[in-house]
Amino acid sequence: MTDEIEKEDEYALTAEYVLGLLTPAETEAYEDVLSVDPELREEYAFWTERIAALTDDIAPVTPPPHILVQIKETLFHERSAKGDMATNGKSWLQRLGLLPAMAGGLVAALAVLWLFTAVLPPADVPGAAPIYVAQIASADESLVVQASFDAAAGNLQVTRAAGEAREGRVLELWLIAGENPPVSLGVLPETQSGEIPVSPEIALALSGSTLAISDEPPGGSQTGAPTGDVLAVGQVIDA
Amino acid sequence: MTTTNDIEEMIARMAIGDRAAFEGLYAATSAKLFGVCLRVLGNRAEAEDALQEAFVKIWRNADRYRVNGLSPMTWLITVTRNHSVDRVRARKSKMGAGLDEAAEVADSTPGPEALAFAASDRGRIVDCMGQLDPDKAGAVRRAYLEGETYQELADHYDVPINTVRTWLRRSLLKLRECLSHDG
Repeated sequence: MTDEIEKEDEYALTAEYVLGLLTPAETEAYEDVLSVDPELREEYAFWTERIAALTDDIAPVTPPPHILVQIKETLFHERSAKGDMATNGKSWLQRLGLLPAMAGGLVAALAVLWLFTAVLPPADVPGAAPIYVAQIASADESLVVQASFDAAAGNLQVTRAAGEAREGRVLELWLIAGENPPVSLGVLPETQSGEIPVSPEIALALSGSTLAISDEPPGGSQTGAPTGDVLAVGQVIDA
Repeated sequence: MTTTNDIEEMIARMAIGDRAAFEGLYAATSAKLFGVCLRVLGNRAEAEDALQEAFVKIWRNADRYRVNGLSPMTWLITVTRNHSVDRVRARKSKMGAGLDEAAEVADSTPGPEALAFAASDRGRIVDCMGQLDPDKAGAVRRAYLEGETYQELADHYDVPINTVRTWLRRSLLKLRECLSHDG
């Protein structure tokens, strides 16, 4: 009987979670269990599949073409053919204020050259030295991760020197630049060391930033922000 | 015609940074997902922003999509719907309580076209919703498609929040019972 009540509670809670009806505290508690309980994940998939079918009667509407252009600018830094630099589609060169300066002569040209060698992965320069390094550690050093930015590969090399993810959880790496909200760099590999690919935009934000590691459900935070405890932090320093 | 397998394949290729796969996925799914943004947000400019942000999330999380065991279209819809709901809620909290325009934007009753989808692969949600009391089915739709909270549902149906939670949970169990018979 008790089992039945528990089952029913699990069903109802999962439906409420999928509908977004739980309070933040309940959501967090639910996700904690979800990350370690395969049966609950099955229940979650059951509801999500079926509730998502409520969108079946929503008619498709073709979005205007500038949407894809802007997404590609955000993700891949591709400029549109028209040179449309509106809204947040500014290229990263522009944001650095280097584009106007390029007309200005040798100094600017050198700056751009530096930028390219420093940030963009030159395909034929293997094993270039890292430009940025960070040690991301918890206060008691039970978790220590070393990170170094490999400009040649466009990767952040990460090595877990101490500690590991809790069972059924993962470690997620975050970049915090200035006052901006944390940006996920991805889930740390389960292996002791590995690489995390870094976009040019992120590479530019690395200098002087802070890296942090949070405890997250498998697959990492679904919200775009850390959902679990922040376990370790470290400053990025120039190597 | 893009199949489920095609979409799955595109997501898998996106996870390893394949931009062509991203464009393929966008071509195949953006109209549906834009429809979802419009439905939840009820405002074209906001829906355009939400769609952009959802696709940025989809690209960045492509390597994680398998974790929850969802079919690819469900995953895409869930990311888009959840993001749109976050925006609705952020807007409401900015506007302050009481100014609840979003609730009026969309009609919560399923249109006749909904029935045409009842045989969809993803189950018989429309059938099962039809077996619920209309108020209860309406509340499920309001929560999922308009991002309404228990407080908003309580206000809408003019009952205490605990009551709305009790009757909605009961209805959800009934819904599950019906859904689990879909073989």
